[in-house]
Amino acid sequence: MLAVYKKELRGAFTSMFGYLFLTFLLALVGFYVYTFNLKLEYASIAYAINSVTMFFLLLVPMLTMRILSEEKKQKTDQLLFTSPVSVTRIVIGKYLALVSILLIAMLIISVYPHILARYGTVNMKVAYSNIAAFFLLGCAYLAIGLFVSALTESQIVAAILTFIVILFTLLADALKGMIPSDHAISVLVLAVLVFILAGIAFLMMKNWFVFGGLLVVGYAVLFGLYFWKETLYDGFLTKMLGWISLISRFDKFKYGLFDVAAYVYYLSIVFLFVFLTVQAIKKRRWS
Amino acid sequence: MIEVKNLVKKYGDFTPVDDLSFIVEDGEILGFLGPNGAGKSTTMNMITGYISATSGDVYIDGHSMFDEPEEAKKCIGYLPEIPPVYPDMRVREYLNFVADLREIPAKQKAAEVDRVMGLARVDHMQKKLIKHLSKGYRQRVGLAQALVGNPKVIILDEPTVGLDPMQISWMREFIRSLAKEHTVILSSHILFEVSAICDHVLIINHGKKIVMDTPDNVIRTIGGTEGVYLAAKTTAERMNELIGSIAEVAHVRAEAAPSDGVVACSVFPTEGADIREKLFRTFADANVVLLELRTESKTLEEVFIALTGEEGTC
Repeated sequence: MLAVYKKELRGAFTSMFGYLFLTFLLALVGFYVYTFNLKLEYASIAYAINSVTMFFLLLVPMLTMRILSEEKKQKTDQLLFTSPVSVTRIVIGKYLALVSILLIAMLIISVYPHILARYGTVNMKVAYSNIAAFFLLGCAYLAIGLFVSALTESQIVAAILTFIVILFTLLADALKGMIPSDHAISVLVLAVLVFILAGIAFLMMKNWFVFGGLLVVGYAVLFGLYFWKETLYDGFLTKMLGWISLISRFDKFKYGLFDVAAYVYYLSIVFLFVFLTVQAIKKRRWS
Repeated sequence: MIEVKNLVKKYGDFTPVDDLSFIVEDGEILGFLGPNGAGKSTTMNMITGYISATSGDVYIDGHSMFDEPEEAKKCIGYLPEIPPVYPDMRVREYLNFVADLREIPAKQKAAEVDRVMGLARVDHMQKKLIKHLSKGYRQRVGLAQALVGNPKVIILDEPTVGLDPMQISWMREFIRSLAKEHTVILSSHILFEVSAICDHVLIINHGKKIVMDTPDNVIRTIGGTEGVYLAAKTTAERMNELIGSIAEVAHVRAEAAPSDGVVACSVFPTEGADIREKLFRTFADANVVLLELRTESKTLEEVFIALTGEEGTC
């Protein structure tokens, strides 16, 4: 695990990606801190940081696109997966290297509230809960990027897919207002989702019984609940979009609210996607 | 010791490896032979734990690759078809990384890396970026990688492909020398190579074992009876007449004439008979000049084609 971690960290700084990521991130934070805190004289760093979150769209793929796809392409994964280190430890080593690079930026950003404190009163608790939330949000996005990189051999495909997924989580809030909230449409969309899931299961296992079984059980539950209590589906799609909206959980911090649930949510995303990455690699070795 | 038990790999309807079993004893070199697409690389990838098997198991020194992969993988050094090197790393840096992966203690790391670089003869390249190395040197760095930690089992997938003749002969020597301390499996589609280096040959085709034996035995038992090639200064009719007078001749195959006025053919005797002396006397008595007379042992190549029913690619 340590070997992979060290290699990735060194790799990020022998290629230009590590520097590019840090420069880009720190320049953005610097720009917004300058505008909000120095020019407009806000005491809280929250607004500046909040403005940077949308740039994760570009920052995260920069760091994650090659992390697993390149190993597969160069066939160096043959070295990694035949070495006496388990897939889980390899993936965790790689992920921790990504997090460490982000952490370098966070350490520098952590100094800013103290600089601002020289010119006025800064609520340190708000400042650091914001910085921590920003870091965890970044960790969640890095985990998603890591997972996407495990799915493909091409850096470009990984970068574009990661971009789209992060964009979707950013726009989820805006989409909420656009979609109809009545139960009939919800059920319809869910029916299509069940069909797609069964289809994916069929493609993976090539088994008609699994496909049919999933469809029958899925639709039975779906329509059973619908006929039992149709109000259950009211606003269901909006709720689903809410689940994947990483950014909406960040907003509370801006207003100085401390939300442990958001931290837990981000950490869950991290665990889920690191776990999915390990599964995706193991699955590939099986098929 | 490597024990492969009923190994099967299926991709949907396609079965690249179909119920393969064999054992390689300590200190042996097994040559793994088959036409392109016969399942050699797939089998090696399963033995080294890179991909999992649909069914069956592999035991490395008694450790099951599927139940205790970490223990089993510790005993294996693997050089895949394409050397698994990072172009942006320097040779020494890369081998240090491999040593870390294989959990070589920090104190022994430098010495171990020096040792494998010396063995693979890449020590003078240690500060170079791997992307600047030629194919032959990359292959050697890949070989050095497989030797890190001195694993008991070494698996080489087509180790001589893409090397120049000097490097090939060095690589063969080197593999031979490995056998003193290691158990080696190497795959190849170059038949001469396998018969020159290996203690045993395993021929597979379409994922199935066709034969496993020593190279000599494979040729002897499957190769059938040996023919005698002869060239004489005479006409075809005269030659057939003379050969026809020998009782032990089973059949005759005409060969291309080496030069004008010379006829050549291969004579196959009935089982077990040695007809060389009789041929000589017959021709001498008839006062026909024999220019050449030699037994023709079948090459592994011919055996291979006969066994697999396909052209071997050399």
